[in-house]
Amino acid sequence: MGPWGYNDLGKFIAANPYARRLRRTADDVLGYSLMDKYRTTGTDYSEYAQIAFLISCLALMEHAEADLDGELVACAGPSFGVKAAVAYTGVLPAGEAIMLAARLARCEEEYFATEHADVLTQSIARTPGPVLAEILAQMAQRNEWYDISCRIDEDFYMVSMREPSLERFLREVRGAGGLPLYAMRPPMHSSVFGALRRKAEDEVFADFCFGDPKLPVICDHDGSVATTGAGVRAMLLDSFVRPVNWPAVVAAMKDQGITKIYIPGLDSLFGRVPNTKRNFTVVPINPHTRQKEGGL
Amino acid sequence: MWNEQFEALLRAQLPFLPDDEELRPELDLREFGLDSLGVVDLLMTLEAEYCVRLTDDILSMETFATPGTLWAALAGLQAEIGTAVTPDRND
Repeated sequence: MGPWGYNDLGKFIAANPYARRLRRTADDVLGYSLMDKYRTTGTDYSEYAQIAFLISCLALMEHAEADLDGELVACAGPSFGVKAAVAYTGVLPAGEAIMLAARLARCEEEYFATEHADVLTQSIARTPGPVLAEILAQMAQRNEWYDISCRIDEDFYMVSMREPSLERFLREVRGAGGLPLYAMRPPMHSSVFGALRRKAEDEVFADFCFGDPKLPVICDHDGSVATTGAGVRAMLLDSFVRPVNWPAVVAAMKDQGITKIYIPGLDSLFGRVPNTKRNFTVVPINPHTRQKEGGL
Repeated sequence: MWNEQFEALLRAQLPFLPDDEELRPELDLREFGLDSLGVVDLLMTLEAEYCVRLTDDILSMETFATPGTLWAALAGLQAEIGTAVTPDRND
């Protein structure tokens, strides 16, 4: 999921028949008009933006299924995408997956309103691991806290830190030839969010019953494979506290003999980094490709 | 202002800019499809094509906000290293 606004997904959801059906389901279970909320208050990673992303991913996959080349063998949903993976593999019915995503978004919002309010997650590109390690070692020497939240490629990372550390970190990344991209507030995927994991498990997960997935789900933090509802549930919960490791997912997919991957939704990251493109034929399935194909 | 090579490289990263629409200096590049990974690709391509290396304060998303800001950064670097670019566009 990228920082997509109403203009990026709204037209697709309003017009595509698969997305319209899911939007009606969302309106029913959420008790409000998703599109009205998304249009008027949909900040980049709001509850409404997350639901719009989820139903657009599901609609695009459903729409594209007839054209798929061969059998699907596994499903991976890195970071925000894990909720789409949960719904697509049938671990939860669509309505329940939408409700789960909404309640998790609210749970996170509540948590970060009072806890770790000064922590953000900064993405950086063109910064090889050894260079980043040197920058982080200097932070450690200054007793500044950090945590690697996401490893995307050999020179592409997301690092969580406290707000006061950001300016110097960015300066050092730029000085080393790296390119800072965007900062996510609230942050994500860090071992210090154990209390958030417990809050989500106690207040949200207890109300959902996870079935076994129709496809193996590849875990986004270590490439392990979940084939049971309990396994997917644990994977979802662990995503609060464990970093995303995309190279491990790539390796796991290669181990399964996968050569082609379909990426539904507006992909701003995982399907486009060199590590993914080098190892697989990547087939994007996004609102623009479906619209060009007469998908509306 | 900028040359054809720059415009061609930039247009290649702007999927939502029609071929017949003018690339104006103040165009919002994100609005026309330049996302984060597009910025990374464009950075690498520009450095290779213009034989420069962007560092320090130039390496920010603000540099890639519009064609004007990006060209100003690139031209500034070329001036520093004494590489002239033949202008073939004046607007």
